[in-house]
Amino acid sequence: MNFRADLTAELPYLRRFARALTGDPALADDLVQDCVERALVKSHLYDPTRPLRAWLYAVLRNIHISGLRRERRAGIVKTVDDLSDPEVMLKPTQEGETLLLQVASALDRLPDQQREVMILVALEDMSYRDVAEITGVPVGTVMSRLSRARGALRELIGEGAKPSLRRVK
Amino acid sequence: MTEPNHNEDWPLHAYADGEIAGPEGRALDERLADDPEARAKVEAWRRQKAWLKEAFDPVLDEPVPAQIKAALRHRRGFTLSPWAVAAALALLIIGAGAGWFANLQVSAPQAKQFADLAIEAHEIYTHENRHAVEVAASDGEHLTTWLSKRIGQKLVVPDLSARGYTFMGGRLLAAGAQPAAQLMYEDQGKRRITIFVAANASNKETAFLVTQKDNVTACYWLDGPLGFVIAGETGREDIVSLAHLVYQSFEM
Repeated sequence: MNFRADLTAELPYLRRFARALTGDPALADDLVQDCVERALVKSHLYDPTRPLRAWLYAVLRNIHISGLRRERRAGIVKTVDDLSDPEVMLKPTQEGETLLLQVASALDRLPDQQREVMILVALEDMSYRDVAEITGVPVGTVMSRLSRARGALRELIGEGAKPSLRRVK
Repeated sequence: MTEPNHNEDWPLHAYADGEIAGPEGRALDERLADDPEARAKVEAWRRQKAWLKEAFDPVLDEPVPAQIKAALRHRRGFTLSPWAVAAALALLIIGAGAGWFANLQVSAPQAKQFADLAIEAHEIYTHENRHAVEVAASDGEHLTTWLSKRIGQKLVVPDLSARGYTFMGGRLLAAGAQPAAQLMYEDQGKRRITIFVAANASNKETAFLVTQKDNVTACYWLDGPLGFVIAGETGREDIVSLAHLVYQSFEM
């Protein structure tokens, strides 16, 4: 029963990860639900010496990717037009909000492989080793994707403009 | 910004992400003190981190939606120890009908209704020779796809061969206004058992419950999205242990 309790404690993090990955709250929660179901069925495959969160992220990511594959087979592909999020341009209500929308939109515009690495490292604070395990690539590949993602984000968002928005020292 | 030399920046990335500690980290501290350009990079990346957290951390404080909590409840996983199964089985044999299962529903009208329908269908179709099943086991994949589609839930055909039962095939039944599936098995002595599966709109769970009518003993239960009945002309103990096999097949 411990597994279930541990899984429950991870739900908020799974939801955050899924939200960043998909950019869509409803889709993200569907993904978390599928992930919970699969995690319970596959719990015997979990190695308790490794962090549960990383394992769950891997499960969720795999479901997400097979969903993307299905979409591609079904011909639902994001076109270039979908990539520029009109929201960012249409509703800059507050300075702060604009920046956060910009961040979400820029993240969404990254290639899938760079986006997931960026999310896992920068948002989820996963170690490079865990990210390599979750995404199934060598650590070197994780680092080069991360480096490219950071470069792209810097180009898309710049330095974040106003000093008042800089919440980091 | 032009494409930087990624390799050269790697230690900086690792430093920004807290991957580097100890003497190596101190060496980088020193390097950054004299290198405004490198310092700016690290700062920019850390700023990106802070933005991402600011954008998505509020999700952590949202209440977890009911659909996700439900998903956590209605699958019981593989955590039942053999002892727990044995104990549950013993309790069931001694105490079924006595309301011993305090945390599970013992009175479940929906489940009982399924049991009655299943027993009726069992009596009608197991006595057929040529038309016992609608789709034969040889066409198993089609059968499960078709029935899953009609029931609206993924069905599997439990493997009862360890208990000497061979899968014959299945058919679609009407359970009141809703579709149900009947799977039929036969042993070498031509004794037949049937499994009845229907969608469980209440989404409730019950314990294994046992009922008897004429010569037929049935074990029935609700398990989240599905309701089950296993029926046969056999003893209570036998049917309950078969029910466990069915239950486990659907947990897979």
